[in-house]
Amino acid sequence: MKRYGKLLSILLAVLMFAGLLAACGGSPATTAAPTTKATEAKKTEAEKTEAEKTEAEKTEAEKTEAEETEAPATEAPETDAPETEADDDGPATPDLEGDDPDQLPRKETLYYNGRQWGPVNSMNPLSNSHNLNMFFEESSLTTLLFYESLYMYNQNDGLLYPLLADGDYIEEDGVYTIKIKEAARWSDGEPLTAEDVVFTYEVNAFCNTSQAVAMQYISEIVALDEKTVQITADKDNYNPLKILEYFPQMHIYPKHQLGALVDSYDGDIEAIKNDYNEGAIGSGPYKPYHFDNTKIVFIRDDNYWGQDESMWGKLPAPKYIAHNIFSDNNAGSVAFQQGEVDMAQQFMPQVWKMWEDGLPVSTYLDEPPYYIGAQMPSAGFNVTRPGLDNATVRRALAMAIDYDQIGEAAMSGYTLPMVPALVNCTEPERAKVDMDALKPLQWTGKQVDEANALLDEAGIVDTDGDGIREVDGVKLEFQVECPAGWTDWNAALEIVAAAGKELGMELSTYFPERTVYYDDIQTGNFDIAMISYASASPINPWLRSYQTLYSDGGANLTAERVFTNYSRYSNERVDELIDLIPTETDEDKLIEYYTELNEIYLTDVPTIPLMYRPSSFHTVNESVWTNFPEANDGRNIPPNILAQGYSIAGLYDLELVDP
Amino acid sequence: MKHRLRTTFQNTNFVVGFSILVLLLLLTFVTPLFMQGSPLDMVGTLFNKPGNYVNRMGVIDAPKYPMSIEVASIRLGAAVSNDEAKQMLEWLEKSELDVEWKGLDPEKDRAAIVELFLANYDDSIRLPGTSAYRKGFTRLYNKVQNLLSADGYVVHVADPDSESGYREVGKIESRDFTNVKDVPARRFFLLGTDNFGRDVFHELISAIGNSLMVGLIAGSIATTIGLLIGLTSGYVGGWLDNFLTFVTNMFTVIPSFVILILLSYSISSSSRSIVVVAFVIGLTAWPWTARSVRSQTLTLKNRDHVNISRLSGFGTVRIIVTDILPYVLSYVVMAYILQISSAILAEAQLSMLGLGPSTTTHATLGLMLSWSMQFQAPLSGAWWAFIPVVLSIALISFSMNLMNTGLDQVFNPTLR
Repeated sequence: MKRYGKLLSILLAVLMFAGLLAACGGSPATTAAPTTKATEAKKTEAEKTEAEKTEAEKTEAEKTEAEETEAPATEAPETDAPETEADDDGPATPDLEGDDPDQLPRKETLYYNGRQWGPVNSMNPLSNSHNLNMFFEESSLTTLLFYESLYMYNQNDGLLYPLLADGDYIEEDGVYTIKIKEAARWSDGEPLTAEDVVFTYEVNAFCNTSQAVAMQYISEIVALDEKTVQITADKDNYNPLKILEYFPQMHIYPKHQLGALVDSYDGDIEAIKNDYNEGAIGSGPYKPYHFDNTKIVFIRDDNYWGQDESMWGKLPAPKYIAHNIFSDNNAGSVAFQQGEVDMAQQFMPQVWKMWEDGLPVSTYLDEPPYYIGAQMPSAGFNVTRPGLDNATVRRALAMAIDYDQIGEAAMSGYTLPMVPALVNCTEPERAKVDMDALKPLQWTGKQVDEANALLDEAGIVDTDGDGIREVDGVKLEFQVECPAGWTDWNAALEIVAAAGKELGMELSTYFPERTVYYDDIQTGNFDIAMISYASASPINPWLRSYQTLYSDGGANLTAERVFTNYSRYSNERVDELIDLIPTETDEDKLIEYYTELNEIYLTDVPTIPLMYRPSSFHTVNESVWTNFPEANDGRNIPPNILAQGYSIAGLYDLELVDP
Repeated sequence: MKHRLRTTFQNTNFVVGFSILVLLLLLTFVTPLFMQGSPLDMVGTLFNKPGNYVNRMGVIDAPKYPMSIEVASIRLGAAVSNDEAKQMLEWLEKSELDVEWKGLDPEKDRAAIVELFLANYDDSIRLPGTSAYRKGFTRLYNKVQNLLSADGYVVHVADPDSESGYREVGKIESRDFTNVKDVPARRFFLLGTDNFGRDVFHELISAIGNSLMVGLIAGSIATTIGLLIGLTSGYVGGWLDNFLTFVTNMFTVIPSFVILILLSYSISSSSRSIVVVAFVIGLTAWPWTARSVRSQTLTLKNRDHVNISRLSGFGTVRIIVTDILPYVLSYVVMAYILQISSAILAEAQLSMLGLGPSTTTHATLGLMLSWSMQFQAPLSGAWWAFIPVVLSIALISFSMNLMNTGLDQVFNPTLR
């Protein structure tokens, strides 16, 4: 008996194990569940290799992904505990003179929230998986605390302001000449030269980072002398917008430090990316000071070159910049309310309640919508899915959605009324399109009856009496997807699903882990997903149009993974228009092109813009610091949390409430 | 049997618990009859506070009744608190304007203070201090701006034919009143609205029903399975015991939530109704019940009364039902109650992963709680969005625990 018992248990164990394996192997989405650290790590690894294997166009889109990754401020913290072993206090923290990081002097420290949800995993800007947003984020609104870019983008006026560059660039016949400021130097005292800029462009291309695509549009980049760079556009692939895009975006890296690191690996890209890059050197006003599992701290570089008269003429006010790692949005909000955080960058519903309660809290705008919308999170259709390949279905849903409810409830009123188009709610973008011409094609939302009539007319009706319509025999049942914990997006999608219900479409929301979500939209394993393309950028609305619609002659339909145009939308005329716009200089012609593009967009509805979202939820608590930038205060400093793009100018003006 | 039932219903604890549960059930069945629309209609906006809402256009349309009630002071009192009056005085002081503000008492001379503040307030005077401090005065000014005007409001409608583009349609004077009953469009929100603008009270009623259903179904399934397996393996023993214990241990070791997720995922989203989700939860929650019942059965199995039954030639099933089951029943009921509350919570977790009943089709207590937390209701003071939910969950478990205690007192010989 006993023997049999043992045998039986072994047999059962084997069976059980086999069953588990089968269950896991069955569908990729089983990982939707609490993925363990190990699988997640593996996943990123896999993604990385995948990315490296394929070619350039891909990286292009990885950048978008990077942009998106940081975009939703509401994103709940990933519960990932330390991602690397390197983040105990040990190697990550450089030895610098200064105060005890656990007891930073409050009056010399500016505290942030909403930018960092886990301990720092790498100081290597070439790595695809570094998570130190405060240092490494590269978008049109690049973070400028540690590494700096040639220019700073100001989303208020849409202009570029020179940072490392000395004055405006000169363009002649596709040849760009940029002077570097005489004073510019690295934090170790080495001068920042044209060689560094050349190195940066080349190393990004070599390592296939998210900025690698820049080199595709450049035939040659050379250092004319120590402080002059010359960039020659590729005549065969001529796209001035794509050259301009990287001026405010690309961080310039030190050749003498990062170059040595790259050389030491003999061309092994994987190994280069995996290096932690200890002793990283930047040119910006702050240096890493202390990282551990609960906070990250930067200290001001008192030898910062920018105190030269040719730049800021002084040092930024706070000696330390600190970011505590909060467990979730609620914890971050509580700390902000209590004045333990000065600069908030997270979605806090009903922010006005704070000042009504007498807290010294302000937003950039004093009146609704309180923040300045730049992004357009949209419900993106996978137009290759049966049922969703029908433009009438997509249009009907667009008409039925209650956009005001999304704005008022899901977004807590932080948005302007939605006017469907490929341009955001800012004047400079809207001026590029003939908005009046689009009127007949635009929907106003909450048009449930009209949408139902539209579907009925198109013969998309419920034939089997289960309350769900069918199109060509396919039931209109779809999943609407977005990462878990991105509060405002989650709520917006629930409102979309409610609209579907009124139309006889069954839309069920699905909120997986972030990595699963990215995998799904890149590989096309979704029906409808929340997608946000380019935010504020000097080359919008072209960039957003390109990311939303460009199919490269239908190449996206066969690609295993895509990084733009997740909808898999394809239209010859659209591709043609998107190719035409960058080289067109006639303003009227441009408006004509953009208008035509928008007309096609509104007819085919590959995505439905749901709301205008600020690029950052710039909210300040003046318990310790004051004189933060505000709308119309005459300083023209944009609301990008004093760290991104031209917003960093605000750091120099901060004052203490109680000196 | 009749006697037992009677003694059960004579037990205070049980009766109180039972009445609470019946009341809750009654509430979920009766109130929907008086509510308009679906509990999932998004009628309001983010966290509207509880109260009676009337349409503002309706107020203008409704017949007016002039009344000689002193309105100005009431409006003043409602709009300007003591602190705000002090704030105005502070501005008058700090602005260093040549104004006689001294000697004004924020309590008594409120009207005078507001008048003085309105007359002198100037946006361009930049007081020292933080921007939030200065903005406070601007907001205050905007708030009281029209407070003292005795002329009332003039109502216009857009009229493209007229020169100004507007046409005057009426005046609202300070002595005009309207009977609230004359305003056709109104809505009473007993518990305000949630983050989607849904009526919390209506939603709550529906959610209590749904969550009770999930809890009851899942709890019953889990308890039944656990009980069956526990009793069988405990009493029968031998290789059957080995086998069943092995299976039970297997399920205990693998976190049940993982199995739950795998199971839910394999069910297509459209067929994932409340009942199906309850089944899935029930199928994963039984191992601990099975283990405890088995060990209790093991201790009972060799008692004298069981041996006597066995000697008398009773069958296994009869012995289990009459001689063993009654002794483990009080434990099982307690476990059942725990199963119910944990099932309600499991449903909430599943729902938030998008693997449970969805927010657009069902209201459940778990979903309501999760959304209110995601929208930081406690921080913005929207107590109505989560306290009633928490109270409901507490009330359900409380009533069941009371019933359990009552049953224990009735059945447990040592307590009798």
